[in-house]
Amino acid sequence: MILFVNTGKYIPSGLKVLACPRPASFLRLSTVALLAATLSTSTASTASKIEYNRDIRPILSENCFACHGADSASRKANLRLDHFEQAIAPRKDSQAAIVAGKPKESLLVRRILATDDDIMPPAKTHKTLTAEQKDLLTRWVAEGAKYQPHWSFVAPVKPAVPQVKNKLWVHNPLDNFVLARLEKEGLKPSPEADRRTLARRVTLDLIGLPPKPEEVEAFVKDSSPNAYEKLVDRLLARPEYGEHRGHYWLDAARYGDTHGIHIDNYREMWSYRESVIKAFNRNQHFDQFTIEQLAGDLLPDATLEQQVASGFNRCNITTSEGGSIDEEYFVLYARDRTDTTARVWLGLTAGCAVCHDHKFDPFTQKDFYSLSAYFNNITQAAMDLNAKDTPPAVVVPADTDRGEWDALQQKLKADEKRIALRRDAGKSDFTNWMGTATPKLFTDRLPQDKPYFHALLNEGEPATNEPQTITYLLKGETNKLTLKTNAAWQAGHVASKAFQVNSKTNPVAIAEVGDFARDEAFSYGAWVYRTKDTYGAFFSRMDDTQNNRGWDLWLVINQPAMNLVNKWPDDCLKVISKKEVPLNRWTHVFVTYDGSCKASGVKIYVDGKSQITTVEADRLKSSIHTTVPFRLGQRSPDGAPVDGFGIQDVRIYDRVLAPEEVQSLAENLRAAYLLGKSAERRKAGENDEVYECWLKNFDEEYQDAMDVNVKHEKIATEIQARGTEALVMAERTNSAVAYVLFRGDYDKRRDKVTPATPAALPPMPADYPSNRLGFAKWLVRPENPLTARVTVNRFWEEVFGAGIVKTAGDFGVMGELPSNQALLDWLAVDFRESGWDMKRFFRQVVMSATYRQSVATTPDLMARDPDNRLLARGPRFRMDAEMIRDYDLAASGLLVQKIGGPSVRPYQPDGVWEAVAMDVSNTRYYKRDEGENLYRRSLYTFWKRAAPPASMDIFNAPSRETCTVRRERTNTPLQALVTMNDTQFIEAARNLAQLALKQGGTKDRDRLDFMAKRLLARSLRPSERKTTQTALKAFLAQYQAEPKAAKALISVGASKADETLDQPTFAAYTMIANALMNLDEVLNK
Amino acid sequence: MKPFPQFNPHPVFKDYVRYETRRQFFKHGASFMGAAALGMLAPKMLQAAEKVARASATGKTPGPHFAPKAKKVIYLHMVGGPPQMDMFDYKPVMKDYYDKDLPESVRNGQRLTTMTSGQTRFPIAPSMYKFTQHGKSGMWITELLPWTAKAVDDICFIRSMHTEAINHEPAICYMQTGNQITGRPCLGSWASYGLGAINRDLPTFVVLMAKSTNLEGNQAISGRLWSSGYLSGEHAGVLFRSGGDPILYINNPDGVDTKARRQMLDVVKAMNQMNFHEVGDPETHTRIEQFELAFRMQSSVPELTDTSKEPESTYQLYGEEAKKPGTFAQTALLARRMVERGVRFVQIYHNNWDTHGNVAGRLPLQCKDIDRACYGLIQDLKQRGLLDDTLVIWGGEFGRTIYSQGGLTKDNYGRDHHPRCFTMWMAGGGSKPGTVYGETDDFSYNIIKDPVHIHDFHATVLNLLGMDHERFTFRHQGLDQRLTGVEPARVVRELIV
Repeated sequence: MILFVNTGKYIPSGLKVLACPRPASFLRLSTVALLAATLSTSTASTASKIEYNRDIRPILSENCFACHGADSASRKANLRLDHFEQAIAPRKDSQAAIVAGKPKESLLVRRILATDDDIMPPAKTHKTLTAEQKDLLTRWVAEGAKYQPHWSFVAPVKPAVPQVKNKLWVHNPLDNFVLARLEKEGLKPSPEADRRTLARRVTLDLIGLPPKPEEVEAFVKDSSPNAYEKLVDRLLARPEYGEHRGHYWLDAARYGDTHGIHIDNYREMWSYRESVIKAFNRNQHFDQFTIEQLAGDLLPDATLEQQVASGFNRCNITTSEGGSIDEEYFVLYARDRTDTTARVWLGLTAGCAVCHDHKFDPFTQKDFYSLSAYFNNITQAAMDLNAKDTPPAVVVPADTDRGEWDALQQKLKADEKRIALRRDAGKSDFTNWMGTATPKLFTDRLPQDKPYFHALLNEGEPATNEPQTITYLLKGETNKLTLKTNAAWQAGHVASKAFQVNSKTNPVAIAEVGDFARDEAFSYGAWVYRTKDTYGAFFSRMDDTQNNRGWDLWLVINQPAMNLVNKWPDDCLKVISKKEVPLNRWTHVFVTYDGSCKASGVKIYVDGKSQITTVEADRLKSSIHTTVPFRLGQRSPDGAPVDGFGIQDVRIYDRVLAPEEVQSLAENLRAAYLLGKSAERRKAGENDEVYECWLKNFDEEYQDAMDVNVKHEKIATEIQARGTEALVMAERTNSAVAYVLFRGDYDKRRDKVTPATPAALPPMPADYPSNRLGFAKWLVRPENPLTARVTVNRFWEEVFGAGIVKTAGDFGVMGELPSNQALLDWLAVDFRESGWDMKRFFRQVVMSATYRQSVATTPDLMARDPDNRLLARGPRFRMDAEMIRDYDLAASGLLVQKIGGPSVRPYQPDGVWEAVAMDVSNTRYYKRDEGENLYRRSLYTFWKRAAPPASMDIFNAPSRETCTVRRERTNTPLQALVTMNDTQFIEAARNLAQLALKQGGTKDRDRLDFMAKRLLARSLRPSERKTTQTALKAFLAQYQAEPKAAKALISVGASKADETLDQPTFAAYTMIANALMNLDEVLNK
Repeated sequence: MKPFPQFNPHPVFKDYVRYETRRQFFKHGASFMGAAALGMLAPKMLQAAEKVARASATGKTPGPHFAPKAKKVIYLHMVGGPPQMDMFDYKPVMKDYYDKDLPESVRNGQRLTTMTSGQTRFPIAPSMYKFTQHGKSGMWITELLPWTAKAVDDICFIRSMHTEAINHEPAICYMQTGNQITGRPCLGSWASYGLGAINRDLPTFVVLMAKSTNLEGNQAISGRLWSSGYLSGEHAGVLFRSGGDPILYINNPDGVDTKARRQMLDVVKAMNQMNFHEVGDPETHTRIEQFELAFRMQSSVPELTDTSKEPESTYQLYGEEAKKPGTFAQTALLARRMVERGVRFVQIYHNNWDTHGNVAGRLPLQCKDIDRACYGLIQDLKQRGLLDDTLVIWGGEFGRTIYSQGGLTKDNYGRDHHPRCFTMWMAGGGSKPGTVYGETDDFSYNIIKDPVHIHDFHATVLNLLGMDHERFTFRHQGLDQRLTGVEPARVVRELIV
């Protein structure tokens, strides 16, 4: 057993510190280690009987498997020691590694006992076996070298509930497992905690908040035998239950409010958070929950909720960094999804197999990429475009709009039908009309005032040797511009020829055009034809050597955008249309700007329709005048020209064009041009285009239908604006594949693989679809050895602070062995048999005697089981970051209890975001909210991944960049600084003080008790009362002497202090509240 | 109760036990418990002490493995990737190549970022800056760095750094954590884990952000860079701010002075003691200790960041800029004050080196921000005898291309990211002064002599810190993880005194 001391790493719980024990403390440590060793398995046997899983595998995996294990790439001497058959296989030049029963003939034994260079493990590995380890291995070989499969890969069988001596203690079967173990260790469970303690504990565990004093009193006074049960059921029914469970799940899902990589812009994803809360609250069973989280979008007739749930795998971090290579990020996204899913449901560190076969677990590199193929078939683009709702996304109407939204979908469908019908039926009317029609009928519908600037750009090639000229209209005057080199021309859209910008032609530059003031209204646009994805200006008047001073019509890869800039990025306005300009098709792009210097004064139209936009910057404060000329296809003077796009009918108006006017520009010019051609020269389809324009402009019946449709669309847009969007999964139509990547490099593709579950786990039934849906169903099949165990273990961790397997994300060979496997297996099977009922599971746990124990411990127990793995006492550990803040908000009466909604920005010191954010990031500046948003539960706090909520970060809240199934729980001075000094904690303290002064009676003693009951769920004990009363007097004296300080203290935070209260008294109580809120007892569950 | 075996605790534990014994037990102890109980609690105290020792990083550390040359590090990271050929990697031949295309034989299939992979030409932009030779080493330095030029004989230049990463996010992550994918601890965290604290009243690993004068070419910096990765949270960097509280929440709220804070802490401590005696959780004692440490930090940190008493001679070294909060010069000065007071690792980020365009407009400002302060820092450390055991590191996450991104003129150009070579330098802490190591081809495109990969560089820095990078591991996900990764890495002995 001593071997565990020196291997160290395998001892459960905080004993890692003993990995290299000082010789002098060896004895003491070994006592603990002895216990730890027996903790490793629930069927602890006598020391003489060697068990592979408990005694041998840890030695082999620590010292041997890296070179003689599952990873074929790093395998040395073609020897595997992790399989019996391979270990006993005859070898070419020597004895077999293991000759069962004959240690002397076994190469393994000879090499570990060698004293020369032959010694294993070799010196360069810096690993050595102890004498005890060598002895164990030798004895194991002598006893027949019996291997065992790794425990977690064998499906759990519900163990018989063990008999215990102290039957009276037991409340439900899980107590039998715990007590049986304690009795074996000669330990007794602790007595049940008193009712107040219990009320506090169970309220914190089920809803994440402290109980109200009246709730505690009601429970204390309830003499019915099922008083506790009733309390538990009341709590399970509370809506805060879903919030509390949700915050754990959001860690696993790596939920955040920004993209995470590079610019780290806002991502509007809170509807996913809300759906998680709702799922827990309606007690969706975990099997269905699993299916919807991983594949909600693939369910037949997926509901909106199911689609939103699939956002689990849209929470991963994404990029749009300029210069990034798409494939590299496709690989990273799929990898993250694979790793996350494997960790959360299978408890496997799949990420280890990205570059090579897993060194310890039966999980090959091929397994990894086959698994990743399930997640490699999403319609999502590699670049998120820094948009808040990177597609695929769905509209999520507000709850109150749901009925109307659903009805509207039917109406929109009906509209579509009616429009289509008229489109069919109107043809004869159209033919009649065409008999007499002239182009003027269409051009009459264009805006009748002359544009400020207009260039049709249909000159075409000049006659030989003539210089190329271009005609344009400026302020009513017709001008001609002679170009230095000839332009290229392509077939036009509203006239026969169109100008083509490419990097070789000299772009058009006209000095006098477009030197607008920032408060002048103007509108501009053109017909464009683009041939590739790129960044660049269609046209601009902008000086890119002077921080981009000026304005432009810009292209962001494939989306039209506009900039008004004094100084990029600090003093500018940038709006991007979400609608793309398609490739290789003439598209009308137009911008109107009302001179307000605000993004709200900008509209971008694509093909005549006003588009939903993203505002990337909205802080234009100064002039946009610039001296550089207006240019086509380029910013001045150094901007790279946009290569290879056509442009025609460039117009600038010095006013805001109405939507109908823009629409007419996008329709009528084209129709007039086509109609102007003789009928025989019109190409196929061109008549149809004229017909479309006729329908819209001349056919009343069609217009009627359109009007109705526009009304409906308008309502839809309004609902959309009131609601939110959800990023969801959506599968491409082709079948999924992935490639094994050499060393994990995205550009070193090896074998192509199709989706498959890991070979070492039970296969997926043949009739399951080979996609995420099939995979999700497979996860919750009864024969899956991992999902149920991993899940109940994580839930157990939420309540007890550590899982039965402490490495909650690693059930593999290198993970920790369960401290009580029978208990884990019973819980897992029972959970599955209950239909994966989560509320039932938590009810079962908190109803148990195990859970209800007092936390008080003895030195003896502390020494034997410092981390409470045996559960001879109740759970006590420092609460999560969210709970600590919520606790004080609740106790002080500040907490605003409202479920769901967008993320909020409570107090945060200035400069936390600014310190790390890029200039262009729309989460560069943290603007604190006002009013109730300051006091919402912490899971609603805006989570910027590059700078997580500052005070929560200090309390080990993760950055949410990657999946977390087990938070760290450190205890640092920085944490003390938060709870002592953070505005929100001081404000909570003074609000609690205010409540005490107003509602807590007139005596100090009663007022102090009032605060204690809200924070500790009990009255103060005499010694505590004495301490606080003495301190209160001292504070009072100090603040009476320093009234200014008193006033300053009670003014911290946005809420108003009651002015009727005596300020020094108020301040003194505030300090006592601050002290109480910092008690270990308060910070701990 | 079982008799407890004898033990010989680590001095830290002894001190703790003595401290606790005297303070808690003899002072208050009698009121709660008898002498027998005191004996009973001893093992618990020890455990609490172990945890405190772990938590405060003054306990057992894995290192040093051998006598360190550097005990402290100041790492100046130039975010965005400085153009090596405009600063340190002198390429006189290039003037003949103005506006000529980069030969394909030089580029040799190198992948490019999608920012320039669409360019039809790769016209060479020779550096427009003058270079002169300096010091005994004869190192060529750009005219933009006149102060740094004076210190070349204190500096160890590496002109042959290389990486695989080509975009900022993965590249910075690689440079700082040895891996392109986030989630690994950075050099500062490794140093904290390996060597622990020097001064317990200050954080072990501090991060400072310097503001740039030039505002173009800003890049993202994320808190993940100094998070502790898989190491315990206490090894994360603590961000010191130039505005507001220097450490988040370090200052008492309005209306609370030191006296009130002390009074409040006494209540907390007394009541925590009572709770401890009722419940017996050693973490309660850790918490008491952490609150006391926080209280001490409340006075030590303001003293550290208060530069008002620095003599005028200091500013003659760093320049007047060092008086302005948040400038690179001031962060450099703060860094000196920190290592002087026993901060183990100071990480400074200076941003806006991403010169895709307008090198002429941006680079002189970038260089001006750092030049005199780098010189000042080295001289200041030297004068105070701190340079011997303080390692100063300067460098970005990759280099830049010799060819121009966007328009090229005689007096302006842009440069794209370039992973195949870049320059870094070290000073002090056992790095070999007056060294110029590594060589690149005429195009500053490929390394032709003595390449130093990021992992080699990390191995070398760890060596200076007294750590064997192969033995310096942390068990995570079943593997012994190390800063230098799984591929072989080399300690570059030529860079070490």
